[in-house]
Amino acid sequence: MRDGISMARLGIPSVALVTEDFWPQGDFTARSLGMPDAPRVQLPHPVAGTGEANLQRVASEVVDNIMQSFTAEPDHV
Amino acid sequence: MSEWLEAADEAAALEQLHDLGCTDGLPVVIPTIERVERMVLASGQAADMVLGVMGPALGVATVEKVAVAAVMAGCTAEHMPVVMAAVQAVLQPEFDLTEMQSTTHCTAPLIIVNGPARHDCGGIASGFGALGPGHRANASIGRALRLCMINIGGARPGSSDMALLGHPGKFTYCLAEDEEHSPFTPLHVGRGFAPDDSVVTVIGAEAPHSVIYSGNADDPNDAENLLHQLAVGLANMATNNAVLTGGGAVVVLNPEHAQILSQANLTREHIVQRLFELTHFPKAQLKQYGGSFATRITGDDDYRAFNAPEDILLLMAGGSGLYSMVMPSWCAGKHKNSAVSQLVELNPFCEIPG
Repeated sequence: MRDGISMARLGIPSVALVTEDFWPQGDFTARSLGMPDAPRVQLPHPVAGTGEANLQRVASEVVDNIMQSFTAEPDHV
Repeated sequence: MSEWLEAADEAAALEQLHDLGCTDGLPVVIPTIERVERMVLASGQAADMVLGVMGPALGVATVEKVAVAAVMAGCTAEHMPVVMAAVQAVLQPEFDLTEMQSTTHCTAPLIIVNGPARHDCGGIASGFGALGPGHRANASIGRALRLCMINIGGARPGSSDMALLGHPGKFTYCLAEDEEHSPFTPLHVGRGFAPDDSVVTVIGAEAPHSVIYSGNADDPNDAENLLHQLAVGLANMATNNAVLTGGGAVVVLNPEHAQILSQANLTREHIVQRLFELTHFPKAQLKQYGGSFATRITGDDDYRAFNAPEDILLLMAGGSGLYSMVMPSWCAGKHKNSAVSQLVELNPFCEIPG
């Protein structure tokens, strides 16, 4: 979340990927950094260590959400 | 019955309690007669009922004295059943409390709560940061036991509690198992209780030691690699478990690590059995590093850190991620500082008015 906001502040379009267990922390970080609506997409938890096949599956499930977050009007993010 | 102190007001009472060495160094709720009476009422027991004798001072642990500690610790009436059970547990001879209070080793009773009491007794946390800070029930229940150990058991640093440095869990050390999300049978069921029983398990434990493991589902040895890491933490050559041997220890799996083991079709019994096997060490290792303690080990080329797999207490708690925790123990005293489980009596307790 912090990385995504830092990149956004540099003018680089960014979408943070946040796992479900860390979603509340993502909200907290976004609020505390003054960008509560910073775009983010939820991933299942855990992702790390779950194997190549699972990573492919997760990626295929969230790629549309990520693209949507990059291209939607801010109110719809 | 208790001898009551007098003070002009609560601020003066707090200073008096600090001066008398009756606190853990932090402010306490002043145990006024009214507050203590309400806590005794919540226990559903007579104030003068004796739970046992607590060393090293051999103080008599009455319900009233336990209630005094519970009030001082900030407990609510809901917490009282768990506090009572924890006190009863450490008073069992197998726990070696007198010796544990007096040892130079850094050990504190870790309170593990299973069953409905986790929800019925004030909401004892089992997830993120369960060992604190920030969870009132965990903080207050563990602190109440410590204040009993100070004020009934008489443990004072440097004179009767000889822990060389102490450890932060000596302020409070209490958590619940995350039974709802665990793929394994709960700890208390593994120790012979029914799933619906409320049980407190106590063990004299060191502070939590972190065990890092980054899983890889594509590695067929994923679970075995994790077990190796846990075994190293449990009984590396710097622990009493590896040098004194024969005691217990605790493994607190985080949900991610529990999942790795579960996906390898391992049960609670498989896991503790494997950890037991992975903590067999060459006797030469003990001879090299164990000093005079090595002379106690005779016979085989290998020696065991644990006497039996079930001496390794396994539970799941905490947030999900890279880190599980292990707590080695003291492994001394007549009974090797055994873990003790005690049923939490929920029925005798009554709601107190407003």
